[in-house]
Amino acid sequence: MLTRGSLIYIGQRLVLIVFTVLVVSSIVFLGIHRLPGDALFNEHLHGTQYALLLHHYGLDRPLWDQYTSFLSGLLLHGDLGESLVNRGVPITPLVLRELTVSVEIGLFALIFTIGLGMLLGVVAAIRQNTWVDYLLTTTSVIGYSMPSFVVATFLLLVFAVWLDNLTQGNFYFQIGWTGRYGTIGEIWLPAFALGFPYASIVARLTRASMLEVIRQDYIRTARAKGLRETVIMVRHALRNALIPVITILGPLVIGIITGGVIIENIFGIPGLGKEFANSILNRDYNIVIGVFTMYAAMIGVANLGVDLAYVVIDPRIRY
Amino acid sequence: MPTPILQVKDLHTEFNTEGGVVKAVDGVSFDLYPGESLGIVGESGSGKSITALSILRLVPDPGRVVSGQVLFHNQDLLQISGEEIREIRGRDIAMIFQDPQSSLNPVLRTGFQIDEAMLAHDKATKKEAHVRTIELLRRVRIPAPETRVKDFPHQLSGGMRQRAMIAMGLANAPSILIADEPTTALDVTVQAQILELLGDLNRDLGTAIVMITHNMGVVAGLCSRVLVMYAGQIVEQGPVEQIFENPQHPYTWSLLRSIPRVDALRHERLRSIEGLAPDLLHPPAGCRFHPRCPFRIEKCFTDEPRLEEVALGQHAACWVTMERARKEMDADNLIDIRPGAGSGLRKGEITE
Amino acid sequence: MATAAAIITRPTTLQQASLWSDAWRRLRRNRLALVSSIYLVLLVAVALVALVHTPYSYREVGVATPYSGPSGANWFGADILGRDVLSRLMVGAQISLIVGVGTQILVLAVGVPIGLLAGYYRGPLDTAVSFIINVFYGIPDLLVAMILLLLLGPSLNNIIIAIVATRWMDMARLVRGQTLSLREREFIEAARASGAKPLKILFGHILPNSLGPIIVQATFGVPAAILFEAFLSFLGVGVQPPTPSWGSMAADGLAAIRIAPHMVIFPSIALSLTLMAFNFLGDGLRDALDPRMKR
Repeated sequence: MLTRGSLIYIGQRLVLIVFTVLVVSSIVFLGIHRLPGDALFNEHLHGTQYALLLHHYGLDRPLWDQYTSFLSGLLLHGDLGESLVNRGVPITPLVLRELTVSVEIGLFALIFTIGLGMLLGVVAAIRQNTWVDYLLTTTSVIGYSMPSFVVATFLLLVFAVWLDNLTQGNFYFQIGWTGRYGTIGEIWLPAFALGFPYASIVARLTRASMLEVIRQDYIRTARAKGLRETVIMVRHALRNALIPVITILGPLVIGIITGGVIIENIFGIPGLGKEFANSILNRDYNIVIGVFTMYAAMIGVANLGVDLAYVVIDPRIRY
Repeated sequence: MPTPILQVKDLHTEFNTEGGVVKAVDGVSFDLYPGESLGIVGESGSGKSITALSILRLVPDPGRVVSGQVLFHNQDLLQISGEEIREIRGRDIAMIFQDPQSSLNPVLRTGFQIDEAMLAHDKATKKEAHVRTIELLRRVRIPAPETRVKDFPHQLSGGMRQRAMIAMGLANAPSILIADEPTTALDVTVQAQILELLGDLNRDLGTAIVMITHNMGVVAGLCSRVLVMYAGQIVEQGPVEQIFENPQHPYTWSLLRSIPRVDALRHERLRSIEGLAPDLLHPPAGCRFHPRCPFRIEKCFTDEPRLEEVALGQHAACWVTMERARKEMDADNLIDIRPGAGSGLRKGEITE
Repeated sequence: MATAAAIITRPTTLQQASLWSDAWRRLRRNRLALVSSIYLVLLVAVALVALVHTPYSYREVGVATPYSGPSGANWFGADILGRDVLSRLMVGAQISLIVGVGTQILVLAVGVPIGLLAGYYRGPLDTAVSFIINVFYGIPDLLVAMILLLLLGPSLNNIIIAIVATRWMDMARLVRGQTLSLREREFIEAARASGAKPLKILFGHILPNSLGPIIVQATFGVPAAILFEAFLSFLGVGVQPPTPSWGSMAADGLAAIRIAPHMVIFPSIALSLTLMAFNFLGDGLRDALDPRMKR
């Protein structure tokens, strides 16, 4: 499977990702830099101090100059510049650090989403039209109708407030994030809140997909061969049922990234989302550009991963 | 007479639909002898496929086998446990289906799907199965089987796919192979090849074949005995040559008559069977074929005929039979074959 | 006697009559969709009532003790500044509905024509549109919207603009796809052969036949937009105080969850119920319009 053709394809996609990232960050860069005001403006500095700062950040140069040095810095050194609000803080290492945090919680949410969603979807399909099925289908609509912060609120109410009161402060969920990587105890609640709406979507899709697959002729053939029911469900049905699920994996990842912005803000998780929201509120344009660039790269890689997953699951697809 | 390896006794299979109960198989009985090639012929909706599916308990929802017996090796297949019938499927009695494109799993390799048939019944180790699969593919005349084994179904042609399915069916050397319209979805030339293959396999391996089809030509080419089904019941059965030469049931007679002949005169009209296919929700009273039968008499409207011997080894379920129709109604020379044309009973109860 | 040309170019309304009444019948049988519709009608009623009367002014500070829970005077309690939560919820309903419905109307106005033209004429227009759609496919709309609001400044109008700017592409893509597949059909060829003008073909033939998926997409777009606005306001880049948005009310409430949970619970419930109602309705519409979907 790791043929020369597929390696070429991966190579092409990586180049495309770099290209897209550059295009996107350029658009954001140029868009933002047309603005008259910026973070420095907010601090109401005047005179030489202001001019010095402008010079320090190169903001007094012509736009084209700024743009080319931004591009070359990014391409050649991976340098995203310096924060406007917090002087002297280089953006690239900051953003990379936050990226790992966001990826950590995102992966947790993703695995939970897909795992639980698929499991429930399969169960609902096998037990179609029983109470299990009805329960799951209705719950799933509720599930993806609730914004992630509502889910988070509900979970917090139960595990942070109510449990706290119940156990007199001995046993409850603590919002917080210590150290570089969150522990399971810190991560499970936000990850659950993040993934829950998407788990519902995956469950519904898996159910619908399984229902269709189970009616297929090749399932009848498998039964006629004398295979065990479990084998039929897992080896024959599920693999085919997964195909439509992989299709939505791309938008799903994007959804998790979007939801991550909210969840990180609620739980104070030092990830890209929190940084992004803060930098927007503080008008720290350099960070906005930096985070956005990082997001674009992340999504490009995620989409590539999804397309590769496609190939693994469905042998009819070859690039 | 050797003992039959399969005996179907008074099989009834029903479908519980929104509109009511559909009696897809309504009292079907027949025997199958070792090494025999039996054809089951009938139009769509006659119940032939459901009969086959009922034998292996593969009838899909909302259908159920409601009564009857299917005796195989002293066991009633309809009564044994789920685990036991699972073991018989694919090992002692195998079934292949109509459309090999949709009957093979598109995401699994062809060779693996054949291996599976053996592995499911612990008939071989993985390595042994793999070797045997290649042998099987060779046996069903697929060229270069060693490479074909690794192919996915979509990489094979229609004819090759069907051969692969046959290989899958024969993997465990079953005593019975049920083939449900295996050639319908294929080109005519490929059809002929597949039929030839099945005939050779039947002779060489001694596997009994049950061939389900709507095509009388297929039956003529392959089978030694045939059952003719209509509206969920067997209306005629017997040796193929006899049935073809001297059909006794008006339905069989009409079917054979409707086959266009190469040597027919140019201006001769094509002959079809008048009327519509029977509504299985509300089957006609009396003989199910009476709304369309040219030779119906009054009894046909009210009493259901049973299968009776009309010649050596040949049974038909008819109050009149073609013998009488020829004698009394000049059947062979009839131009107008509309319902009741021969017997003069043109108007009568409309079904329902 | 009508000429062949006139007959062919007449929109296929007769066919549609039975399709719609069929769909309507199916929809009526869907109890969830029915209940959801009732809820939404009530919601609209509340929003309209709020135009003229709310128990208290939504911006009046100190009508009750800050953080106080539900009581006879304040059915849903008071918020951090002592404002009546119920009144703010009612005004918030207006915001949500305006954003939800307004954005979809604009998305339809922008996305449908672009999709039709791109799909029908192909060529450079299509290439450009497809390029834009594909580039932005991989970019989270929330982030782009936040940046847009940063540039434009937060206000209700700008929120609508930001949402439309990020969401029109989905509609355009849908319509384009429908157009692409429909333009190959024989009845379009027949219309073209009898000299029908392209505009007529587009709006008289292709559009009516794609209405089903378009309606479903728009119906699902409403809760998506409401959610979007809630997210933006939650983060503080959306509607600005004192204007109440269910999202910003939830954000404020979340901060005080330990001492005054009602502050976050009520806006959350309002949001969830409304989103659910639209989603159930959208589901019902989709099932009603697409007879192939079995439960």
